[in-house]
Amino acid sequence: MAAHVMDAARRLAGALSGAIALYGHLVGAQARSQMQYRLSFLMTVAGAFAGNIIDFAAVAIILQRVPRLAGWSLGEVALLYGMSGLSFSVAELFAASLDNFDRFIVAGTFDRVLTRPLGALFQAMTEDFRLHRFGRLAQGVAVFAIAQQLLAIPWSAARVAVLVLALVGGFGIYFSIFVLGAVFCFWTVQGKEATHVLTYGGDFFASYPLDLYRGWLRRFFTFIVPLAFVNYYPALYLLGRADPLGLPLWTQLLSPVVASIMALVAWRAWAMGMRRYQSTGT
Amino acid sequence: MSVAGVLLQQVPRAQAEPVIAVEDLRKTFRVAYHHRGALGALRNLFERRSREVRAVDGITFSISRGEMLGCLGPNGAGKSTTIKMLTGILVPTSGRVEVFGLVPWRRRKEVARRIGIVFGQRTQLWWDLPLVESFELLRYIYHVPAARYAANLDRFRRLLDLDPFLHTPVRQLSLGQRMRGDLAAALLHDPEVLYLDEPTIGLDVVAKQRIRDFLRTINRERGVTIVLTTHDMADVEQLCARLLIIDHGRLLYDGSLEGIRDRFGLERTLVVDLAGDENAAGPLEVPHAREVRADGPRRWLRFSRTETTASELIAAVAARYRLRDLTIEEPEIEAIIRLLYESARE
Repeated sequence: MAAHVMDAARRLAGALSGAIALYGHLVGAQARSQMQYRLSFLMTVAGAFAGNIIDFAAVAIILQRVPRLAGWSLGEVALLYGMSGLSFSVAELFAASLDNFDRFIVAGTFDRVLTRPLGALFQAMTEDFRLHRFGRLAQGVAVFAIAQQLLAIPWSAARVAVLVLALVGGFGIYFSIFVLGAVFCFWTVQGKEATHVLTYGGDFFASYPLDLYRGWLRRFFTFIVPLAFVNYYPALYLLGRADPLGLPLWTQLLSPVVASIMALVAWRAWAMGMRRYQSTGT
Repeated sequence: MSVAGVLLQQVPRAQAEPVIAVEDLRKTFRVAYHHRGALGALRNLFERRSREVRAVDGITFSISRGEMLGCLGPNGAGKSTTIKMLTGILVPTSGRVEVFGLVPWRRRKEVARRIGIVFGQRTQLWWDLPLVESFELLRYIYHVPAARYAANLDRFRRLLDLDPFLHTPVRQLSLGQRMRGDLAAALLHDPEVLYLDEPTIGLDVVAKQRIRDFLRTINRERGVTIVLTTHDMADVEQLCARLLIIDHGRLLYDGSLEGIRDRFGLERTLVVDLAGDENAAGPLEVPHAREVRADGPRRWLRFSRTETTASELIAAVAARYRLRDLTIEEPEIEAIIRLLYESARE
């Protein structure tokens, strides 16, 4: 029995490391392709980086004028901004290929994907890897460091655990939204902007405290598209603040659960989309 | 173009083991009806009208290991849809499809590992990378053992003369070079079946010939089963011992190229050159034949297989007129196929 389990574990580990190695090869090919156009590549990286800096500078300037935003200090907003930025940038790094899924289907590239002995989602994810997306990750790290500098959060084991789970959960939530956006393309290839509102727009929304928004919008980001679990609720825990909206303490620990539900929804939806594609061909 | 004299490639109709089995295969699409114009777009939002299109409408055939099979039909006939069902891209509406005894869409990855695909109009190579890097990546994707990869690459480099552009980015290759690259890419993992969708489209005569030679070699040396769709009759004549003709989702013909003439090309033409002094004024009068064209002493007489034989007709003509020369024209396969399409349309 134990031998069986060990064997299964070894096979799983083998499959996983194989998948990671293959991911590296495919993504590496994308990276090398982009380096072929050196000037264009450098300009994109520089542009993305500058865009990200300006982005945060805008927030910082507002906060210097209005030192508190709905009761949140500059450091506290930086924490929200940094947490969302970290989760989002890693999700974007892996999944933003799916942003072009509409073109993928229209150009017939997806047919080719289905003729290869690999998972379709896996291939779709590696089709358009962009190096400049590391810029956003760097920005997330930088803003998070600023937040720590300003707030001097007293880190305990519990707080570190909540932070890590929130980041992983946030990654899962954003990743699922990217997948759901791609699934949308199985039905119509014209819905890209709607998805952007939730991915890039979602990161923007989540960068500000939730209690800044109107009630229906708060409920929307808690129950429908649960971006509040990416950073807002866990940040309350890290800062030791009570929820100004009056939700109990345990909601601040729910990020991994919410992310798992989102992932399950995205996975089922992807399977449905695949079935639709394979029966309609468009 | 006459096919007389072209030798058909003799492919061993191998052990009756079918690699591909298709039975009463059907695929129906629902196509949404769209209103036009700005108001139409608004109406489309509220009104969902659609009609059914039967892309594949009850096709049955099976392909044995090692066969080379050509699939012919006008655009939109259902060829691509059939191939998409064979490769597991599409799920059939009804009917049975099995490749290696597996149902392709249920066991997509397993089937994918054992087949190769080349689309003439699309490449599976990495556009911005040197050709050889695409091969490397495919090697990882298909888990090709190192020794096998080296041997295959070596063989294809020689057969397809890849060396001059092995390290050139794919986007800089000519169409012919790219097609050679795509062929090698599709075969690196030793597929048992190779699907080719218009492999010679847009290529010049030399490039076409090279591709055909390569396919013949691969089929002979490795026993790869080859299924190709094409509009180029020369592809079929030179490569395929067997031909499927599909139109309107139906199988119109399944058999040899020669058989098609026996079955549908009933009328042949006897061309005679009358001897110089024999200047018949009107059309030649011969039983079971009618003159369809005249050009001085040269006359074209059409006759049907069901009514007379060539030798009987020649004897009959020679008994009435003095002849200098004669030839028999077989109907062009292309013309027969065109007739087939047209009759199916009615």
